Amino acid sequence: MKRAFILAASLLLMANAIASDMTDADAIVERSNLASYYAGADGRSEVRMLIADAQGRKQRRQFTVLRRDVEEGGGQQFLVVFSQPSDVRNTVFLVHKHLDRDDDRWLYLPGLDLVKRISAGDKRTSFVGAHYFYEDVSGRRPSEDSHELVETTDEYYVLKHVPLDPSSVEFASYTTWIDRNTFLPMKIEYVNDAGKLYRSVEVLQVEDIDGHSTVTRSRVSDHIGGGQTDMQFRFIAYDLGLPDDVFTERSLRSPPRTWLERSSD
Amino acid sequence: MKKAIIRLATEKPRVVYAIVLAMVLVTAAMMVRLEIDTDPESMLAADQSDRVFHNKVEDRFVLHDAIVVGIVNNDHPDGVYNVETLTSLHSLTEQILAIDGVIEPDLMSLAVADNIGQEGPGTIRFEWMMRDAPTTEAQAKDIRDKVGRLPLLQDTLVSGDGRAAAIYVPIASKDLSYKISQEIIGLTESIATSDEFHVTGLPVAEDTFGHEMFLQMGISAPLAGLMIFLLMLYFFRSAPLVIAPMLVAMATVVVSMGLLIGLGFTVHIMSSMIPIFLMPIAVVDSVHIMSDFVDQYRPGDDAKEVVSEVVDHLYTPMLFTSLTSAVGFASLLLTPIPPVQVFGVFVAFGILLAFILTILLIPAYIVRLSPAALSHLLSGSKSGHTQTPLAHLLRRVGRFSMRRGKLITGLAVVLIAVSVAGISRIEINDNPVRWFKANHPIRVADAVLNEHFAGTYDAFFVLTHSDTNAKAEFVSNAEALLSDIEDPYASALKEQLANSGDSDFYGAIIATADDALFESESDASMSALESLIALAEDAQSASRYFQRPDVLAEIEAIQVALDDSGLVGKTNALPDVVKVVNRELRGGDAEHYAIPGSVPAVAQTLLQYQSSHRPQDLWHMVTPDFSSTAIWLQLTSGDNQDMTQVIDALDAHLAERPLPAGVEGRWAGKNLINVVWQDAMVKGMLLSLVGAFGAVFLMMTLLFRSVRLGLLAMVPLSVTILGVYGLIGWIGKDYDMPIAVLSSLTLGLSVDFAIHFIQRARAILQSTGSFETTYLEVFEEPARAIARNAIIIAIGFTPLFFAPLVPYITVGAFMAAIMALSGVTTLVLLPALMSWAGGWLFGRDLGQAGPAPDAAATA
Repeated sequence: MKRAFILAASLLLMANAIASDMTDADAIVERSNLASYYAGADGRSEVRMLIADAQGRKQRRQFTVLRRDVEEGGGQQFLVVFSQPSDVRNTVFLVHKHLDRDDDRWLYLPGLDLVKRISAGDKRTSFVGAHYFYEDVSGRRPSEDSHELVETTDEYYVLKHVPLDPSSVEFASYTTWIDRNTFLPMKIEYVNDAGKLYRSVEVLQVEDIDGHSTVTRSRVSDHIGGGQTDMQFRFIAYDLGLPDDVFTERSLRSPPRTWLERSSD
Repeated sequence: MKKAIIRLATEKPRVVYAIVLAMVLVTAAMMVRLEIDTDPESMLAADQSDRVFHNKVEDRFVLHDAIVVGIVNNDHPDGVYNVETLTSLHSLTEQILAIDGVIEPDLMSLAVADNIGQEGPGTIRFEWMMRDAPTTEAQAKDIRDKVGRLPLLQDTLVSGDGRAAAIYVPIASKDLSYKISQEIIGLTESIATSDEFHVTGLPVAEDTFGHEMFLQMGISAPLAGLMIFLLMLYFFRSAPLVIAPMLVAMATVVVSMGLLIGLGFTVHIMSSMIPIFLMPIAVVDSVHIMSDFVDQYRPGDDAKEVVSEVVDHLYTPMLFTSLTSAVGFASLLLTPIPPVQVFGVFVAFGILLAFILTILLIPAYIVRLSPAALSHLLSGSKSGHTQTPLAHLLRRVGRFSMRRGKLITGLAVVLIAVSVAGISRIEINDNPVRWFKANHPIRVADAVLNEHFAGTYDAFFVLTHSDTNAKAEFVSNAEALLSDIEDPYASALKEQLANSGDSDFYGAIIATADDALFESESDASMSALESLIALAEDAQSASRYFQRPDVLAEIEAIQVALDDSGLVGKTNALPDVVKVVNRELRGGDAEHYAIPGSVPAVAQTLLQYQSSHRPQDLWHMVTPDFSSTAIWLQLTSGDNQDMTQVIDALDAHLAERPLPAGVEGRWAGKNLINVVWQDAMVKGMLLSLVGAFGAVFLMMTLLFRSVRLGLLAMVPLSVTILGVYGLIGWIGKDYDMPIAVLSSLTLGLSVDFAIHFIQRARAILQSTGSFETTYLEVFEEPARAIARNAIIIAIGFTPLFFAPLVPYITVGAFMAAIMALSGVTTLVLLPALMSWAGGWLFGRDLGQAGPAPDAAATA
């Protein structure tokens, strides 16, 4: 009931947005953040990553992500379970994302039968060798940057974001091209201290899934070292009613099969 | 032919001038295309297998040439681990990263290194080692403790004694290394700390050498020319006369170098010395003509007639000396080192050109001199020539060598024996860094950094596992599984199975089969697809050979063997990464510094390593498909001898503990390239020398139409070559490339003296029939010409001593030694031999003229 209300409200908001340009950068970012990371109350997706280096040599990763929003636009929980390559099968990441404090992150390595906590420290490290960062997977908090609406085109809100704590990140600023209809950031360009574009994220495909505009293909490119990672999201489902015990340490050693398998759709 | 040339030169001097001038202008214009190449790799042909493999390895593991920047702190108790030094290291790193041509992602420095460690019990932490410079000494010490736990950084980024830190600056192209190193030096100069900064690395040495070489071409060669000019002026006392050979030398040098550059050859260390080699050789023939002319010309004579006569009787010996010298250098073609071949061919060409220019230009020049100039020339020189200290000395030498023939011969035999002993002591060794003098900043930096660190020289032992058979087996099994399936996916899968070269072969098949599984309707095809996926997963896991713990243990054993040999500063390889990550995953205790026990455990450990800021670092050690891995050796020396010892040490280890079946091990790296080309050079030089020796002997025999005289003509060059290389052995100078090439020079120049000496001696003997008269006459003009030549060349090259580059000094010094030795052997040993073996040697010539040789000799 409550969820239906939120859905109706956001539909209204969307109509409103189309009718008139938004001019408040923070509000655009807020909407975009919700569209990108908070579709539905929970969700599942199978992700394939094709990581290519500058010479085109490829590595592949495949994992299933379960997500549950603790609070719309607020805390979230993620469970990431690897299925390919088979040597890393059942490696699991568990993330409890908080807005008011550092995230909690856990790791389970079946080959070593080892559960580890991962220090909150730096979230801008590579996610399992891909050009994506951990932060790209779980989302960067809007409150960590200041936002400026640079331009409004027919299709996009173009925003520039500057980190409030420059020492915590490797970029000097980044620019996003946010689709005016879906509020999905269709392109993100990162610039370093030297003013050079060194990294970009592009959305290659968006599909409507259960009424949510959802990114189904995206690409991160490394403009300095060369190489790129393509991500493909498949078997996406929203509002599965994932219980919160799926996102506990217990799931590390024994992943919740019922929620991970495709047939659970 | 000969007559026509002489006539052209004496009748139409202006035409000769015009032709030569045109040649010089055209070839000089080509010089603008000059391109310098100092890369030791170029010592091997582009398709030479070790060079090809080395380049393949550089691509495969994304390795770049690197400039090494060192920061040394000898004052602080914690060495570089103090706020000030780390702050400068940090800011220097950032500034270097901003330089164009620096490959940012692969730069190595504490400021961009990643750390993996513990954050309280049960929590692992990935972080930048030093994202910001420390602000307190405690933070600096904390960094020291962290580095101490990371074997891949310890002794590579910071020296074991903590006194020095290094920044490895990978560069996009070797040609940039001089420019970038200069920029870095500029940056270090603006840092106001008590730290010492050093910049070195093989590419810097090479590129810097190229720059200094370029300067030397503009300094040493002209200085040598000036010196030769002054010496000739001293001997001939006539500036107008002496200008002529200088013109010959310059025209020869310009045309040869212009042609070399114009034909698209790069100028290498050897070819940069072509002017220095050609200059004396070009002058030698002219000195013979002028010497003769000055002796023969009387006031009132027709200069044209005299010079024609002189050229006429010098033509044959000059042609032969030129041909033999050319053969000596052309024989370098037998050495499989492209820069040496190019050097040999163009020097040979230059020698023949010099011969042609000499017999054209010198007569043309002389006939155009005014009678006044000619008589001045005479007054200045004529009486002087027969009465100089040199002339007196030579007569005494002649008498002495005739009387003490057997004693001299005996001494020569002793000298040869001593030389052979010296040659057996020769050490073959080269290292581009040693091309600089010991006090050059690059040599100093090299010494300092290699004293502190595990070494700034690299070699790589590359292991490659071939799984062709396994792949073929998988493909045939997979095809069997798919044979009965009609799904549209089946054909897509079959296509993928045919594409076995794909770096992601198994992954792509698994993905397609996985998609097919979802679409598939029939139970039969689903079960086939499931079997296929299982099959592909197994094959994929097996193909990732270097994830296997037992294989990693083999690599570890190789590392231990290399480390224990004491010859290697340090080895870095995949097991080091696995062990560090495993230790930190398991709580950080030293006992867990080990390779985990299963393939999934290794794979998952590496997955964690890839979750750092620098996942790409893994691919410097292993390929993304884990079929090939590189052990990086840091060596404190770039000497190929040291590298050879390392290779031998590993061979010994592998003889005891062979590589697993299907694994091939092969060396790569700059140090290996040095070993390979030097090996090729030594063998090639020997072949060149033997080939040239044979060819020259044949030519001598033809020239003199006598095997005996042919043998005699080989004596001075043989003694000189043995003597010079014996000397190298005894003084302990390493046999490097310039030294190797000197054998050809020796061969070419020494034989000249012998040809002139024997030819003239024989002519005199034939006309007088008396050895006594022959000695007297041969030690007049012919001996003077030889002695003058020897002195001019020997002293003419003293300016090379002041060059900052060791190969130039070497060439200067040995040029002098060669000239001295071959001059002396020709003037002393040849008459000495003739004194007791003259009858046997010249029997036929005497047969035509009369008296017995022995009678004449002892008279």
